[in-house]
Amino acid sequence: MKPMLLLLTTLIAIAGSITVSRGETTLEKISQTGIFTIGTRTGSPPFAYVNRNNEWVGFSIDLVETSILPLISKKLNKQIKLEKKESAPNTRIPLLTSNAVDLIAETMTDTQSRREQVDFSLTFFATGAQFLVKKGTPIKGIQTIAGKRVAAQQGSTNAKIIRERVPNAKLLEFPDQPAAFQALVQGQVQAYTNDGIQLAGLKAKAPKPDDWAVVGEFFSYEPYGMAMRKNDSDFRQVVNLALMEAIESGQYFRLYDKWFGPKGEVPYPLAPDTKRFLQLQVIPK
Amino acid sequence: MDFAVITNNIGFLIFQGFFGLGNFTGGTLRLAVPAIILGFLLGVFIGIGRLARSRWIHLPATLYVEFFRGVPLVMVIFWFWFIIPVLLGKSLPEYSVALAAFIIFEAAYFGEIVRAGIQSVPRGQAEAATATGLTRAQTMRYVILPQALRNMIPSLLTQSIVLLKDTSLASIIGYVDLTKAAQIVNNREIRPFELYLFIAVIYWLCSYGMSRYARHLERRLAVNPV
Amino acid sequence: MTYNFDWSVLWSGQSGLWLLQGLVTTIEISVIAWVLAVALGILSGALRTVSIAPLRWLAGFYTEFFRNVPLLVWMFFWYFAVPPLLPQFLQDWLFDHGVEFLAAVVALGVYHGARFSEVMRSGIQSIPKTQSEAAVSTGLTMAQAYRLIIIPIALRLIIPPATNESLNLIKNSSIALTIGVAELTFQTRQIETYTAKAFEALTAGTLIYLMLCLAIAVTMSQLEKRFAIPGMIAKRQTGEF
Repeated sequence: MKPMLLLLTTLIAIAGSITVSRGETTLEKISQTGIFTIGTRTGSPPFAYVNRNNEWVGFSIDLVETSILPLISKKLNKQIKLEKKESAPNTRIPLLTSNAVDLIAETMTDTQSRREQVDFSLTFFATGAQFLVKKGTPIKGIQTIAGKRVAAQQGSTNAKIIRERVPNAKLLEFPDQPAAFQALVQGQVQAYTNDGIQLAGLKAKAPKPDDWAVVGEFFSYEPYGMAMRKNDSDFRQVVNLALMEAIESGQYFRLYDKWFGPKGEVPYPLAPDTKRFLQLQVIPK
Repeated sequence: MDFAVITNNIGFLIFQGFFGLGNFTGGTLRLAVPAIILGFLLGVFIGIGRLARSRWIHLPATLYVEFFRGVPLVMVIFWFWFIIPVLLGKSLPEYSVALAAFIIFEAAYFGEIVRAGIQSVPRGQAEAATATGLTRAQTMRYVILPQALRNMIPSLLTQSIVLLKDTSLASIIGYVDLTKAAQIVNNREIRPFELYLFIAVIYWLCSYGMSRYARHLERRLAVNPV
Repeated sequence: MTYNFDWSVLWSGQSGLWLLQGLVTTIEISVIAWVLAVALGILSGALRTVSIAPLRWLAGFYTEFFRNVPLLVWMFFWYFAVPPLLPQFLQDWLFDHGVEFLAAVVALGVYHGARFSEVMRSGIQSIPKTQSEAAVSTGLTMAQAYRLIIIPIALRLIIPPATNESLNLIKNSSIALTIGVAELTFQTRQIETYTAKAFEALTAGTLIYLMLCLAIAVTMSQLEKRFAIPGMIAKRQTGEF
């Protein structure tokens, strides 16, 4: 036992004294490996999910593939391959900081406290938190949620807000959206809180969409951004330029129509305010 | 109960989940087979290392085995998942991470089997080999190991079965093996009973089949004592 | 891309508390599941050696069915697939009383019960037949022979492999994180999520598991020394090559 303790303490001492440092920026890393890795969801329709043909698709994924990836390839002068890894609220920041992924392109809310750990691109979507419930339940919004069992994703902004604003609600945290939704289906929780657009997507793609209702006023403001490692301005510049280009050229709105338009996977009209906000983010050349 | 969800997705479950042929990085067999082979090879070194005379060899080997037998495989997988990209400075596909974690972890267990196998060879064999002039290395290579391997085969097969079942844990980091494939379909269709029962049967067929084969081998090998 | 170590996250803020809660939960799950597993293991292990074929077959079915499927699949099965099959009042009760904890305990206990069953069976089968024959010849029924003679002896014989299986059970309790049980490994992930310090969190969790397993192994080997039946356990080979 003693040799083992000695070995362990030595390892810890060594670990505590080194700072693993790589001077390489994200663009250099992508150029070197030829691969651009994004973290994205598998169960958040229609932003990023696995469809009935078992293909990994979504609005966020399309944004990356049609705008960001081509611009990176152009900037680095070589053909870059896109790789997708699954991320969830409780794994995405560690995946980013450990270099497993270069960009989180899913449904991550840009917040001040998160900006202490990661950098965000400009906002590519804006929504607010609501509740998904079985049609017909008395729950109508955040005022009526006290004392009820509520599901949220572990590490999400929604979980944090419920914990702070309605401490007597029974909050149950799940690793990702599908797990939380299943808890709702089984009756383990009476409501599931997430951003309105995602709840609409979940309802639309559920086996029986009419059983569910999205209720409540937006009880929070959820601007979506793509997250990347801190202090990497060149990469951030590329991502932002790509998004601005997509908005300006109309590609963004074509993609929006594909996924959220009247004939899209999850019809969800774009509010004029939101459209204006997106357009105002495009700074002059 | 509606087993249509199985028939609709059976291609995805079996080809992607079990064999690893598809658009996702995955496959139970694609992970299990190399992990068994490479884990065993590493285990041979660890096992022999534990029996070495030199402290510089047998102490690290012993610590290696005791360490990995004292931590959960889930923890080891997380270590590799988070730490390797930091050390290497680049991201790795889940396959490499999972494979590395499994090889390193299972080698500790294979090492113990190898050690027990070597120790079960009668001392007389080693003594006779030395008496005929073989060096320690030659004795190990030509006399001890071949006999030890024969003794080890049932235990090795058992450990391989354990490894096959353990590959289901790779689903935790997003590797699309049989378990993860079932999860992906379940997340969409919400039919946990049918899906998890189905993959339970698949795993059961493999595991039980292999253990019957191991028992059969054990009986056959026992007929011819050394 | 630098990783700055910051070990203070382990005790500042909520991390220390989370680790402690995780450890307590791990111990809770492990102990309850262990009791369940031992009970199932002794029962089915013994039943696999009796002469009544249907009982033997039943116990054999239980063992082979549960231990040949990965524990992770069982966790999902008991947590997702089973509750909807139960009557509504039972479901409501479960959902109010930590269904994920119960599902994890059942999954862990039933799975390891099947594995203990194997250990028990080989323990019983290594007892010379003369013991049971002698017991019966003194007028005991087979059931009494099992209860008073065979099982007690077998329990003392199987302490080493049973220790191994018990350690496996504790380590496998980590799999419960996949269904949301806030055990130790789950808490290390929680710390990672909120502090992004993966290395520190993983180290803390690993050390705690090592110490836990070490404590159990040492206790069990003391138990073995006290309860070993001289002459019946094969001497461990210590010969070095």
